[in-house]
Amino acid sequence: MNGPWVEKYRPQTLDEVVGQDHIIQRLKRYIEEGSMPNLMFTGPAGVGKTTTALALAKSVLGEYWRQNFLELNASDARGIDTVRKDIKNFCRLKPIGAPFRLIFLDEVDNMTKDAQHALRREMEMYTKTSSFILSCNYSSKIIDPIQSRCAIFRFTPVKGHQIIKRLEKIAESENIKTNPGALESIVYFAEGDMRRAVNILQASSTIEKEITEESVYEVVSKAKPRDVRKIINKALEGNFMEARDQLREVMVVQGTSGEDMITQIYQEVSKMAMEGLIEEHVYVDLIENIGKFDFRIREGSNPRIQLEALLTKFLLKNKQ
Amino acid sequence: MLWTTKYRPKNFKEVLGNTKAKDEISDWIDAWLIGQHPKPLLLVGPPGTGKTTLAHLVADEFADFIELNASDKRSYDILLRTVGEASASGSLFNQGLKLIILDEVDGIHGTDDRGGIRAISKIIKEGQNPLIMIANDPYSKRIKSLKSKCQVINIRKIHTNSIVALLKRICIKEGIEFEEHVLRTLAKQSKGDLRSAINDLETMARGKDTITSQDLEIISQKDEIRNIFDSVRGVLKSKNPQHIKEAMRVEANPAFILELITENIPREYEKKHEIEQAYEMVSQADTYLGRAFQTRNYGYWKYSYDLMSLGVALSKDETYKKFARYTNSSVYTLLSKSRAKRDLKDRVADKIGEKTHTSRKVAKEQFPYLEMMFQINDLARELADYFNLDDSEVKVFRSRKIPKKKKSKKSTGANKDKNSKKPSNQVKKVKSVEKIKKDTTNKKDETKRKSKADTSEKSTKKSDKSYGKRLAKKDKTAIDKSDDDTDNLDSKKNGDKQTSLFNF
Repeated sequence: MNGPWVEKYRPQTLDEVVGQDHIIQRLKRYIEEGSMPNLMFTGPAGVGKTTTALALAKSVLGEYWRQNFLELNASDARGIDTVRKDIKNFCRLKPIGAPFRLIFLDEVDNMTKDAQHALRREMEMYTKTSSFILSCNYSSKIIDPIQSRCAIFRFTPVKGHQIIKRLEKIAESENIKTNPGALESIVYFAEGDMRRAVNILQASSTIEKEITEESVYEVVSKAKPRDVRKIINKALEGNFMEARDQLREVMVVQGTSGEDMITQIYQEVSKMAMEGLIEEHVYVDLIENIGKFDFRIREGSNPRIQLEALLTKFLLKNKQ
Repeated sequence: MLWTTKYRPKNFKEVLGNTKAKDEISDWIDAWLIGQHPKPLLLVGPPGTGKTTLAHLVADEFADFIELNASDKRSYDILLRTVGEASASGSLFNQGLKLIILDEVDGIHGTDDRGGIRAISKIIKEGQNPLIMIANDPYSKRIKSLKSKCQVINIRKIHTNSIVALLKRICIKEGIEFEEHVLRTLAKQSKGDLRSAINDLETMARGKDTITSQDLEIISQKDEIRNIFDSVRGVLKSKNPQHIKEAMRVEANPAFILELITENIPREYEKKHEIEQAYEMVSQADTYLGRAFQTRNYGYWKYSYDLMSLGVALSKDETYKKFARYTNSSVYTLLSKSRAKRDLKDRVADKIGEKTHTSRKVAKEQFPYLEMMFQINDLARELADYFNLDDSEVKVFRSRKIPKKKKSKKSTGANKDKNSKKPSNQVKKVKSVEKIKKDTTNKKDETKRKSKADTSEKSTKKSDKSYGKRLAKKDKTAIDKSDDDTDNLDSKKNGDKQTSLFNF
């Protein structure tokens, strides 16, 4: 049982981790010294934060890493109280066969400020026995007291040639052929996200034996949120109610995320501008608005309401 | 005994107002009593105007009655069993008629009371007995189909003067001293809802022997909990800041009020720029709600309230003089409809998240790719095993069940052993079936390959036409060149996109 390639080919040691060399070097020094401050990994999705934390745990905790390592997700559906109870129960015990115990807390930026303050206290309480690795997408969403207690590591998007190298290795192990342009188009769509790159690679391999640019395109277009062009057109026609209903269907019933939707709207609008369906100044105006609502969504407002508001901007764009 | 019960009218004369309606109902009763079978009655009107009281007074004229209301589950079967039985049994003995009262028919719930309206229609068709239905909302979609089959009687709000007169009578009977203007204020506040007027009077006066304007304060506090739709109406119908602030005095979650205002903006506003402007206000109000939640600083709420009320209200050029039907947000209907599906997805995402060290959200982002992987039987089987997904959970990714594993060369030996216990001819049969299957699958594979070749040819042609893809290629080469020095892929790419856009 190997699972999907993202798991099968997840780097197991720090040396295998791709594209974060400067971070890996500093982390290795902690291993040599046998002690570690609290760490914070920040950076976009799929750049190796979790992988690095797991690999680090294995090498710093040694043989008994499983017993001394706790992995938790802050945005876990079980609620923050459970997460904190788990941390308490785990930290109360002394490390067994390892220098200290390690807690990896993922997606800390999804915790409310109150919960973060509570977490801060726990981090202080167990400094003697335990060390924390916190991981988040945006360090700006983490309260200062936590940031000041952590050594902060900023993970960057994985570079194109590094992604290609990794994909080639996987392709070789899986015995699949890749056509030269194919990997490059995967890199384009992955946007520095290794998880997405590997997922596209595996999904493409299910289409044909040899991975081509076309199969990559097919995968990517299948993975996109559907009906976005239709929704935009309805709004441009001035039919707001139908556009809104369709948007709700896609977001509420199909569960497409606000970020995915707004990215797709941006791409469709760009495409429409290039196809000459939208005039330049209208295009610029729309981009201004897309950016504005994207920002509001990331700030933590209700993505659906924000996107509905974005749709109203299209209503006025059609002169007919 | 509650005063509303104590002073409930004992006969038609005592029922306030609605003279015409009362006459129509009397005629309807008479028709039944002389052996005719007129259409059922549908009493429609706002709450507290005496609909149920009237129905119960009608019941006095018949031998017996049965009543169902919103608190009873009213699915198709239950309705037919209880009501259908009642109407049949009445006609059997023919000893007088059994009246059926269905209260709050517009409250028949879509899913919980599956087929309720259908059942009522059936009862109307077959039933030999008098039937009275009661509804609040004349425009409810649920009773639309019933209306044509019924005699609709509109019950109107009770006039303030009539209410004052009744309140006076109650005060006198209860031995309470009163100032007339207090009763008048009470009556006005009730907005034609007699029941609530009596209730308010009772709250103020119970256990006392005099009521003054001071007592009104208790009631005005209670008034704060107003119907949330009144708030929505206040915002969308008015441009008067005072009215609007007044209308927003409701006790409800601000996100819920925002949702309802948002839902109904395009139902009231007609001009595009009004909708756009109102939505801009909604968006900002929502942003403040988000900030309040994230920082736990609920001081932000006040901005949110003002933006969603005044901001939205002033987004219209002029108030509309029309009747717009306001509704609850379709989001809630969609949510409840898709709940089972979403729960299933959550469950699957949790299982996948556990194995791939990701949150539910990130796990879901991988769904589209997994969906493609699950189309291959062997891979699907492997992944389902790995993530520990059962058949129902696999359905998130593929509509067909994963076929049982074909017997591979290694495992056939073991299977033969098992099979050998059965009669040998069966084994042969199984084998031959397998052969046929293999043959057909081979053929299928061939055709598939052919069709794939076709599609890939088509797609290459398409890709030449598509600007998007051409753009993509451009970008790729750009990234290729700058691989070593790009720290920020996004900005580079976007830059490229912009320039290529203006090249056109």
